[in-house]
Amino acid sequence: MRPSDLYGVMGEFGTPEELLEAVKKVRQAGYRRLDAYAPFPIEGLSDALGLKRNLVPAITLLGGLAGGIGGFGFQYWAAAITYPLNIGGRPLNSWPAFIPVTFELTILGASLAAVFGMLALNRLPHPHHPVFNVARFTHASSDRFFVCIEAKDPNFHLEKCARLLQEVHAHHITEVSND
Amino acid sequence: MAAQEYQAPESVSRLQQRAYFVGGVALLVSIFGAVHAPELFFPSYLMSFLLILGLTVGSLGLLMLQHLTSGHWGIIIRRPLESATRALPLMVITFLPIAIFGMKYLYMGHGEGKGWLNAPATGEGALSDFQKTYLTASGFYTRAVIYFVIWLGLMFIFNVSSKQQDLNPQDRALRFRLKMLAGPGIILYVFVMTFASIDWAMSLSPHWASTIYGFLFVAGQLISSMSLMIAVVVLLARTEPFASVLQKRHLHDLGKLLLAFLMLWAYFDFSQLLIIWSGNQPEEISFYRTRLYSGWGVVAVIVLVFHFFVPFFLLLSQDVKRNAKVLPRIAIWLIFMRLVDLFWMTRPEFTSRAMPTWLDVVLPLALGGLWLGFFAFNLKQCPLLPLGDPELAEAIEHHEH
Repeated sequence: MRPSDLYGVMGEFGTPEELLEAVKKVRQAGYRRLDAYAPFPIEGLSDALGLKRNLVPAITLLGGLAGGIGGFGFQYWAAAITYPLNIGGRPLNSWPAFIPVTFELTILGASLAAVFGMLALNRLPHPHHPVFNVARFTHASSDRFFVCIEAKDPNFHLEKCARLLQEVHAHHITEVSND
Repeated sequence: MAAQEYQAPESVSRLQQRAYFVGGVALLVSIFGAVHAPELFFPSYLMSFLLILGLTVGSLGLLMLQHLTSGHWGIIIRRPLESATRALPLMVITFLPIAIFGMKYLYMGHGEGKGWLNAPATGEGALSDFQKTYLTASGFYTRAVIYFVIWLGLMFIFNVSSKQQDLNPQDRALRFRLKMLAGPGIILYVFVMTFASIDWAMSLSPHWASTIYGFLFVAGQLISSMSLMIAVVVLLARTEPFASVLQKRHLHDLGKLLLAFLMLWAYFDFSQLLIIWSGNQPEEISFYRTRLYSGWGVVAVIVLVFHFFVPFFLLLSQDVKRNAKVLPRIAIWLIFMRLVDLFWMTRPEFTSRAMPTWLDVVLPLALGGLWLGFFAFNLKQCPLLPLGDPELAEAIEHHEH
């Protein structure tokens, strides 16, 4: 296999504890480009992987603000500027009546920004991924736990990584090809 | 875990002593006010009473909510909630001055025939036919007895069952019964609070009515109670045994609920404004005519900004909700703002002057101090965690370090 065809090297584990331990050891050995795969959320795994806080909350806030300001602004523009109508003697800028729509559009803007911001940041939908090339990887959605050290890591060295995974007691160690 | 007793730490005893001391001194000072200026005393007293009532029955509502939904957040604060509900006997005692001496100062509209106690039989200020049979002194007393009996009954059921659970952790039937009682209990609490708020606060202006008025109180009480719980768990977590129990995820959950209650309160409050504003009916807008202009308008803006916007934007942040230094400060601030909101809700019926009197400082300290002292005393009577709850181990398990 040519080095450019190599996505990474993968180790398989039987329990979440083994997985957590392995991730910690691999990170300690200096590898940063790695990911872990498990059939269910594991507390502490994000920390062990060193995942940082992402931008989704900030994007959500911006979406909410845009929705709210836009919602209020549009009503104001329609009712007070372009089509002023005297309704029951109320002021043209009848702000209390604008609040429900403003509120709803704030929520709409925030939710759309949250969903699409999340999709943009994690690049989903993602129908194929090199880890699917490993036959045993189907177990990642039922009863096995996987760590994959990616070849993109600057310190990546196939034999060393394989040996490291062996040291942390991976049950199976597999090369993952790119195609 | 089983070996631990989770007894209240020394700090609770200190809190009890200090709160009783402050409350006792303030009460003595306020008696002076009661004798010399009863017309100032009773509006202040009503406001302070409604604040501590919120801490008590708001906790009753939250207690039933956590039995119904059984989240980890509820297991952490179940015992403080139960202790707060057991302050109900104090609420009965503190209601007596209103019932015995305060009625003529509160519900007679300053002798101008504006109150329901002395409304003229006919003419402009007369009550409707239904009000004439409902808003009577005897009806007021009878209903107050019913409210307290229902609250005391709910308090009794949930406190006794929780104690039984400590002794019989395996009793699944008991747990199921608590869940089955909690649902109807919450409905009962909201109904009783609606009627009580109409009797005690809305009837200050008998010609004005709002159907969402009770919900304003319910939502406000949930804010008060959740704020108190946040302050209490952080206080308890300063020392063992609670220090190793309370985690950031618990605070995060409590903070999220506080934010939700805050939004619920704002939603109810705004709904009332929007409907009355849209309807634009003379008999309905009186409420806002007195409260949105001149001095009271300033108070309204203070409530909007500092009871809603500032805490709302702060609580949006995850870091704030997980911060054991900032979150309790916001919580205590919100309890104070509840008092300001109650001031704005009740006082404009008595005076157009939107300034607190010295009694507005002394009476909240008196009733709040006595309440807090009694609450701390109650907190010492039981283990700080519901030891018999089958989900306890999971609720206090450590995931993060």
